[in-house]
Amino acid sequence: MLPPGSSVEGVVELSGAVCSISYALDTVESTVKRVSDDRFGAIATFIGTTRNSFQGKAVTKLEYQAYTKLALKTMTQIIVDARNRSPDFRAVVQHRIGVVGVGEPSIVIAVASPHRNEAFRTCEFILEEVKRKAQIWKREYYEGEDESEAEWKSNV
Amino acid sequence: MSFPAHITVLYFAAASTTLGITDELVPIPEKGLYLSQLTELLIERHSQSSLNALRKILDSSQWSIDAEMVDDEDLTKVELKDGMEVAVICPVSGG
Repeated sequence: MLPPGSSVEGVVELSGAVCSISYALDTVESTVKRVSDDRFGAIATFIGTTRNSFQGKAVTKLEYQAYTKLALKTMTQIIVDARNRSPDFRAVVQHRIGVVGVGEPSIVIAVASPHRNEAFRTCEFILEEVKRKAQIWKREYYEGEDESEAEWKSNV
Repeated sequence: MSFPAHITVLYFAAASTTLGITDELVPIPEKGLYLSQLTELLIERHSQSSLNALRKILDSSQWSIDAEMVDDEDLTKVELKDGMEVAVICPVSGG
């Protein structure tokens, strides 16, 4: 089955933040460079990768879909909410769609803040909110099982 | 001659896998339709599919209209209009 026509690449640029959905991720190094700012002394990064097993079953790959225009709106609001908690940061949030193999990254978040406390907390806040709200779905494929039986997961 | 009003319904993840489609044009009945009534209409349209699976998915999903989420308590208040893009938002699993 073809992925939904609305599951496409997209980017939203805000002041001091970029959110994107794409088939390939930028390198962590280039993402870190993007958030770097001489005013800020701390950069926190999170990389989510595909694990090789789930409840004893061997995972062969993951597949992600997004309702991109809504997911990007949601990610934008998450950045706004993060700024209400801690206004001073630069951030990049990138989520992959399509097939993601075992060991490969599916999400990268980088946050640069004046100090380490806010950098860690803002990075974690963004991650937890993306997992809770972003209109993105993950399908997990297991070894030895028919691909048509692969389950769409839920973060709930 | 009047053109029947239609909405576009978008399916993702489990909803699209169960139905075998990712989107469809759904005519709105002449008497109108509230978002809360859409589940029944979609189940009627897809009566040849696995109904239990479809109902379970739709009952556990949220909805969006024109890329804005609709709160569950507003489903009975929102009337569907010609040209709206309605998406079935199954429980998400990003990140």
